[in-house]
Amino acid sequence: MEQHFTVKDFWLFAFLALLLLMILLSMYMVDRQWERMTEMERTMTEQAASLRDLVRTISTGISANMNTARRAVNAQTIPDAFKRAYRATQIKGYAVGDWLVSPFGTGLKTLTPLISSDAYSAEVQAYVLESLLTRNPASLKWEGMLAKDNGWKVSDHGLTITFQMRRGLKFSNGQPMDADDVVFTFNFIMNPQIAAPRQRAYFQKVKSVEAIGKYKVAFHFKEPYFQSLELAGTMPILPRHFYARYLKNPQAFNQSTGLLMGSGPYRLEDPMSWTPDIGIVELERNPYYWGPIQPPFEKLLWKVIENDSARLTTFRNGEIDLYEARPREYQTLLKDQALARRTQNLEYMSPTAGYSYIGWNQQRDGKPTLFADRRVRLAMTYLTDCKRIVDQIMLSYAEVAVSPFSPRSPQHDKSIKPRRFNPGKAKALLAQAGYKDRNGDGVIESADGKPFKFDLVYFQDNEDTQRVVLFLRDLYAQAGILMIPKPTEWSVMIDLLQHKDFDAITLGWTSGIEVDIFQMFHSSQTVPGGDNFINYKNPRLDAVIEEARSTVNEKARMLLWHKAERIMYEDQPYTFLLRAKSLVFIDKRIHNVQVTKLGLNKDILPVEWFAPAGMQKYTH
Amino acid sequence: MHTYVLRRLLLMIPTLLGITVITFAVMAAAPGGITAQSLIRGQSLEPAAKKALEDYYNRLYGLDQPAPVQYLRWLNNISPIGFTFDKNNHIAGFSLTKGSNLGTSFYYGRPVLDLIKERVPVTLLLNVLSIPIIYLIAITIGVHAATERGRRFDVVSGTIMLALWSVPTMLTGVLMIAFFASDQYWHWFPAAGISERQALDMPFMPHWSALSDLLLVFLLSIAGTALFTLLSRKGRRTMRTGVMSGLGAVLGILMASQVVTKGISMLHLLLGLGLAGLFALIGRSDYERLRGATMGLIGFGVGVGLACALAQGHFVRGFLLDRLWHLVLPVLCLSYGGFAFLSKLTRTAVLENLLADYARTARAKGVKESDVLWRHVFRNSLLPLITVSATLLPGLLAGSVIVESIFSIEGMGKLAVEAVSGRDRELVLSVTLISGVLTLMGYLIADICYAVADPRVSYE
Repeated sequence: MEQHFTVKDFWLFAFLALLLLMILLSMYMVDRQWERMTEMERTMTEQAASLRDLVRTISTGISANMNTARRAVNAQTIPDAFKRAYRATQIKGYAVGDWLVSPFGTGLKTLTPLISSDAYSAEVQAYVLESLLTRNPASLKWEGMLAKDNGWKVSDHGLTITFQMRRGLKFSNGQPMDADDVVFTFNFIMNPQIAAPRQRAYFQKVKSVEAIGKYKVAFHFKEPYFQSLELAGTMPILPRHFYARYLKNPQAFNQSTGLLMGSGPYRLEDPMSWTPDIGIVELERNPYYWGPIQPPFEKLLWKVIENDSARLTTFRNGEIDLYEARPREYQTLLKDQALARRTQNLEYMSPTAGYSYIGWNQQRDGKPTLFADRRVRLAMTYLTDCKRIVDQIMLSYAEVAVSPFSPRSPQHDKSIKPRRFNPGKAKALLAQAGYKDRNGDGVIESADGKPFKFDLVYFQDNEDTQRVVLFLRDLYAQAGILMIPKPTEWSVMIDLLQHKDFDAITLGWTSGIEVDIFQMFHSSQTVPGGDNFINYKNPRLDAVIEEARSTVNEKARMLLWHKAERIMYEDQPYTFLLRAKSLVFIDKRIHNVQVTKLGLNKDILPVEWFAPAGMQKYTH
Repeated sequence: MHTYVLRRLLLMIPTLLGITVITFAVMAAAPGGITAQSLIRGQSLEPAAKKALEDYYNRLYGLDQPAPVQYLRWLNNISPIGFTFDKNNHIAGFSLTKGSNLGTSFYYGRPVLDLIKERVPVTLLLNVLSIPIIYLIAITIGVHAATERGRRFDVVSGTIMLALWSVPTMLTGVLMIAFFASDQYWHWFPAAGISERQALDMPFMPHWSALSDLLLVFLLSIAGTALFTLLSRKGRRTMRTGVMSGLGAVLGILMASQVVTKGISMLHLLLGLGLAGLFALIGRSDYERLRGATMGLIGFGVGVGLACALAQGHFVRGFLLDRLWHLVLPVLCLSYGGFAFLSKLTRTAVLENLLADYARTARAKGVKESDVLWRHVFRNSLLPLITVSATLLPGLLAGSVIVESIFSIEGMGKLAVEAVSGRDRELVLSVTLISGVLTLMGYLIADICYAVADPRVSYE
């Protein structure tokens, strides 16, 4: 009956545990081998199919298609969109091969197009999906990507745009692409079963898309719209043969994590099975790529590294090729000799980075607030010393913003200059509006004795914003204004915006090449859920915005934007703070890094970066 | 016993209901709350599209209904039997086979079960590795510290454990990355993730291009282990101390010269002396088991190190080694706090029993001291350890928020935190439900273990 646990038993248990571990490990090993085998099998079937194609092509005589591919390598026949990439191949030391490894600061939800909404997945998709047009990063002109060079025509007062597509386009599994795929993509987006409400909202202005021939497609618009060419030209084209099956089972598409296939130079190894838990995204070269210039890197890799110090360490170790720094960090890293030997650094003003601002809510709970008065808003702008914020907090790696339009964009009227810090003017304006220190306590009051006091809501996790807000609190206090900083969580912030339940808020908007200010400043957008959450209503500005949006002629439109900018400058619905520079370190191994009008020449097609043969790290 | 277990299982149901009610109430009352609007977040939508999306979410989750109704709907969804609904959200009937459904995550837009299935394996792996380490170290050190009460081993181990217990994990994690995963100091371990991209293409097991290398590794590691174990067993104290401190100094200087490549610096002196002192401490120790194990391990390490230095051919570390290599720092971070705490606990428990009357009686009747310790005292001291282990089961799946986010490991801990900060109700409720069930199961198992470990405990 007496059973004691003895040392002998212990060894027995230990042995059994070891045995179990061995069995588990070997099971896992076999499983891995199995996966490799299926992978190889897939590659082999793919190769067999392309071999069959080749045999067929040869037996039917050499097609025109093959001919163009052969001839394409001389400079004259290269399509406009590929000219820059072609020039990169002519640089001394150009070589094919190596990997490009970039970091992601947060995990991805999904890679599937349309349902993904973050910038990171868009970055991956940029290499896999192609659109009809692409912008030249140097001239900002549109060039044909899937469409032929100059193969598009805007007619019917901007209501119809026709695109002539290239011949011989192929998706990354070798299937050909034609106008039907373009029509399919549009109809797929507009299908209410597909969880793509954001894209549907964008394409609201498109009435229909119609295939005129096998390689010709027309976009019909409901009304003239200034961004219609961009809208139609940048729609990423999805393969019908791959996505059509999800029309029957939209749930599978809406909940998918990695359904990504396109005609771009890179592809997912398996277009269906990526999941976020592996922590990396890997793209391989598309063997069926139709373009005349094949992409240089063999693989593109993204590693998810959420912890900031771990990300910096990985970059120092050379395990990632790219690191984006904050101003203070950037200055300390510049002094680092070891880093300077291995990396190049760039500071540039990205047009897509946008601007930050303080939004003054003009109506809260149905009543006008302090900031409903234009003079008060103007006074606040005079009191906000943006110059010092730029110099001291951003260490001059930023510029003062004057309006939603970038000072380098033709939308901006060059005669409008940012207002200088001027407490005297501010005091006078506040006195005009009826705010004076009436009881000598250093705080200004309104006529009925209420002190000038408001809350400033800001996002709690951004260090730089926090510094700016605390700096402004002191500045405002000197003018007798009580500002109470309110650090806020993102989900709470959304709720406050939704109910317009705040006095003032500091946020940022990203922007593009040409900014549409309809969403933020048109009075129709003050409805619940609209982006005009400051209740700003100005019929004069509304009219200008509407006119500009329906003006297709660029010159005339720019004059209208100037007019809108002038109104906003006088009205100050926001106090515009600053535009921050991007501060980037890149491994020296990566060549042909340029700052273009679109920002860094990364994430654009065709790929322009490369690693010279002697410096390659991952391939030998 | 059976009735007891059954009763406990039935009692779990109201407890779980309580847990979910509280979680649900907290989620509903949290600032920013959960409404269809909060789900759409800052997406730049035209208002009309926003409205349509809101309606869609309201239909899907019933978010426009009062909170109690929402809670009942959720309960109905997760219960394996319950009401079924037709297209207009009216009750269509009662079904015994409808199956339970944990719902769809708001943020990810995917079934919660899929998300959890994706994240559980890596968290499980981390914990399965760290828990044995925690217990092994805690018991070896704790028991010995109790028998050596007041003497040097007790004081030194007590100080070290207290120090370890007080260091927060986030600090250690970041420091470990900065020192042991960075090119500036010692780049011995990777800084993030659980495997290298290249390793995914490697064979499972490590490979040597030359058979002689494999033989070398095998022979040298065995030789190293045997030599040091022998030294620990048979060597005199002065000899052990001398050899160990010499080895420590050499290793310290080698380590320092990885950072400072030119000349001799303070670092050489500091590291040489530091490691020499530490190794001497191990060599001097009178605790034979711990000394034997540590010295054996060091011998093994030295053997492998020498073999690597002498190897001629090419070495592929393979998938398995790569994974283990990535897990070293996270597992260290995950375990040191646990064993520091548990070893203090073990010490107290064992000490209490060592001084008890029955232990003295056993000694008086001539039982060997080691038998008194392991047969009588240790078994009686197990109860507090079992109590603590009750919390291990939920910990296994809940994961560690801090370690997972520092080392960029996509596990359950990170999922749970993201869910809370994103107000992802379905995900939060499911995670709490699962960890609630596991906690209660853990307590039940602990209670049963009491009865097994201690015959005086009975539930009849």
